[in-house]
Amino acid sequence: MQAIITDIPPLVDRGAATAPGCGYFERFGVTAQLLHRVLCEALSQGGEDADLFFEHATSTMVAMTDGTVNRASTGVELGMGVRVVVGDQVGHASTEELTPEAMLSAARTAARIATGGGRRDPAPLRPQSYADRYPMKRRWETVGLQERVPLLRTWEAASFARDPRITKVQAYLSDGERVVLIARPDGRLVQDHQPMTVAFVACTAEEGGRRESASYNLAARSGMEFWEDAARGEHMVREAVDRTLFLLSAGAPPAGELPVVLGPGASGILLHEAVGHGLEADFCRKGVSIYGTLLGQRVADEQVTVVDDGTLPGARGAINTDDEGTPAQRTVLIDRGVLRGFLHDEISARHFGVAPTGSGRRESFRSPPLPRMRVTFMQAGEHPPEEIIAGVEKGIYCSSFANGQVQIGAGDFAFFMRHGYLIERGRLTRPIKDANLVGNGPEALRRVRLVGRDLALDEGGWTCGKDGQSVPVGQGMPTVLISGLVVGGVG
Amino acid sequence: MSSGDELLSFARAALRLAQAAGAQEAAVSVGAGVSVELAQRDGRLEQATESRSRSLSLRLLVDDRYSSHGTADLRTEAVEVFVRRAVAATRLLEPDPDRALPPAEACGEARGVDLDLWDDQQPAVDPDQRRAALARFEAAVLARRGCASLRSATVYSGDSRSEGATVFSNGFESFARGTSFGLGASLTLVDAGGRLPEASCGHGATHQADLPGHDALAEELWSLGLRRLGARPAPSGRYPMLLEHYAVGRLLGMLLGPMSGSALHYGRSCLAGRLGQRIGAVGLTLRDEPLLPREAGSRLADGDGFPSRPRTLVEGGVLSTYLLGQYFARRLGMAPTTGSTSNVVLAPGARAMEAIAADLPRAIRVESFLGGNANSTTGDFSFGVRGTLLEHGQAAQAVAEMNIAGNLFDLLERFAEPSSDVHRHGTYLVPSVLFDDIQFSGV
Repeated sequence: MQAIITDIPPLVDRGAATAPGCGYFERFGVTAQLLHRVLCEALSQGGEDADLFFEHATSTMVAMTDGTVNRASTGVELGMGVRVVVGDQVGHASTEELTPEAMLSAARTAARIATGGGRRDPAPLRPQSYADRYPMKRRWETVGLQERVPLLRTWEAASFARDPRITKVQAYLSDGERVVLIARPDGRLVQDHQPMTVAFVACTAEEGGRRESASYNLAARSGMEFWEDAARGEHMVREAVDRTLFLLSAGAPPAGELPVVLGPGASGILLHEAVGHGLEADFCRKGVSIYGTLLGQRVADEQVTVVDDGTLPGARGAINTDDEGTPAQRTVLIDRGVLRGFLHDEISARHFGVAPTGSGRRESFRSPPLPRMRVTFMQAGEHPPEEIIAGVEKGIYCSSFANGQVQIGAGDFAFFMRHGYLIERGRLTRPIKDANLVGNGPEALRRVRLVGRDLALDEGGWTCGKDGQSVPVGQGMPTVLISGLVVGGVG
Repeated sequence: MSSGDELLSFARAALRLAQAAGAQEAAVSVGAGVSVELAQRDGRLEQATESRSRSLSLRLLVDDRYSSHGTADLRTEAVEVFVRRAVAATRLLEPDPDRALPPAEACGEARGVDLDLWDDQQPAVDPDQRRAALARFEAAVLARRGCASLRSATVYSGDSRSEGATVFSNGFESFARGTSFGLGASLTLVDAGGRLPEASCGHGATHQADLPGHDALAEELWSLGLRRLGARPAPSGRYPMLLEHYAVGRLLGMLLGPMSGSALHYGRSCLAGRLGQRIGAVGLTLRDEPLLPREAGSRLADGDGFPSRPRTLVEGGVLSTYLLGQYFARRLGMAPTTGSTSNVVLAPGARAMEAIAADLPRAIRVESFLGGNANSTTGDFSFGVRGTLLEHGQAAQAVAEMNIAGNLFDLLERFAEPSSDVHRHGTYLVPSVLFDDIQFSGV
């Protein structure tokens, strides 16, 4: 266990803190006394609960194209949001000025959701310590562009060297650190320091008048040490080049309903779209999710156990605390085929009379938190992957994906396959590409026939969007056979 | 900071800082805005959010090296440090002289046009009035519930204002401000088999008076909702596709992406080498219209400081231009046009959508896409679709869990007839469109 409240050197030069008590944000003039005043103001109109959410984030991106590292960008985010809750009603106001006047004004605006009632006094603030799942060995703030640039050069050169058909290469490295502070009327004061790095290599290949592009990316909550293991970059380059070349000989899959074998790793996008969103409990408490009434019921075969986990060290979807100040946890959603739980924020947890699952996340201080996924995966089953493929007479095998979407109530979902194979008489044959797959969530779960023993967590930079808010997530899957999905192919 | 003068002087000060730190060229933008959004469900205000934002963004050229930066930390001492660090970091990159700003004489604002993007009503909106108006809208939605089993309805409204000042080191300066208003709603109905089909619609406008009335919007919402009952896949096959105006923008995005300088330069454009060539049926005409009064995408100058002017993108099926800002035009050795579209207008036809549909014995009307993607390098696409199977214009079956797939050029060749009615969806002004003979996959 490590304390999350730590003294981190300033990202922005500033004089010494003026008053003690609230960690990192002291450098912006935020004191424990001020937090207390703003919380009082937030609760002044009869709000039942409230939170203050402070955020300071810095990011850097460097890009290489056409043989030169010719582009960089940096960004700074700074601000705070005040949320006031009455039952399931939410008032939220945010400001980018961390002056007492601006924060008190935001608190007054957010407080207007309440209309009278008793006034609550916030408890004295007590800093909380949670487990740290992403300690940084080398903070990005201490890493100059001089160190980032050679990484890009290495990746670009390795991409061209791998195959002469590669005609264009772009390499990107982005990284950032985000510090958040959450203050609650019950006295919780939680600070978290969240790193993130994402790199990607994108290639274009040409052969015989045909041109194709593809990319591969790696993401982690880590400092610079993540890329000091050169094997990671080499792996990324191999995948980017090979996936691009693969497309040169790939064609469209057939159209219509077919058995689909999902390869290990990125196929977790099926769970994210077909299952995960429908189990976010804001939809369930409003009665608008197709899964809302299925708790305790069998929704899939015994082989199927689905977990959403915020506790995987260094994972893109890992969190120490959610954005309401609840520690992250591992939440079992489907246990051996039976629907066991939803993903809760505090509002939905109160509605259902259960404990929050540490799933209340927000994109930034500009928006209130919502129940969100973290890293969603299906646990490994017993079947060897080759046995799963061998049992399919005619179908498709999917190995990589671009994006997906779901209709929460109707349950219809879609996800886009970028790379795959036709399966004919139990064997992978023709390479296929670029097809949308659609199905219905509960129906697709019922159609899971075989679960492989090869669970893999995808290592890419997935981002989930909901109500206009994006959050980093992860996903994973063993090889799985679904007896039928509609494949958007040709012919 | 609120007035244009204050924003402009802040931007000029940041420009001076960048120059003092060693930047030979710089483009600085400063923006500030306020937005309010309300959601009401089941007779109660469910969420009220207000967000105040401000930002500074910089594009720098230091010894022929380029970088871009943005910050929301506008405290004086923080901005000084931020700009100094940005300039210092730029020196560590490799030269790319094509990033230089356009010559001063190429920059300026379009003259003699009043875009009318600011509604004085917005700053005057009273919080209680907002809530009361939303409650009236909810009442209009609930009044139409009829025989369908309603699970939940949520209504939304929002309004915002933003101001921005831009200052270039070549002398170009501009100030722009705008308001926006939105009204929307979603509903969830109860269908057979535990399914809860949902529908939503929303409208935006720069002026409050341009929003549709509560009754018209409630009518549209219910019409969309009732269409979703009993949705299932139709048999796989080739059908005429009536692409409703709601989904046309997504399809146009598939055409506009490969027109961009970055797609062309990075070898990811299926439109490379196609300028001046026929890429679709003669009925396809697409224009970029930056000078339309009161439209959300309207502007007097683009991001490079080039004065806005209307531009034909596709005329009679022939590709007339690429979208080239200063940088990619230089990289590609071509003349710049504009790096981004403003309001994209698809030319309408002569007949209403209903008249077009009535002539078709069997067609699928697609109202929205679900998932899907397009490969900009090859033009191959595959999208999930939701819609209605029509027979002589009458609804025969609600359609879900189907896909369309093919290639952009093949699709544009089948562009048969746009409808006469034009609808605003964000910065798209589009009719519905009939496409001949499209491959649908279902059961």
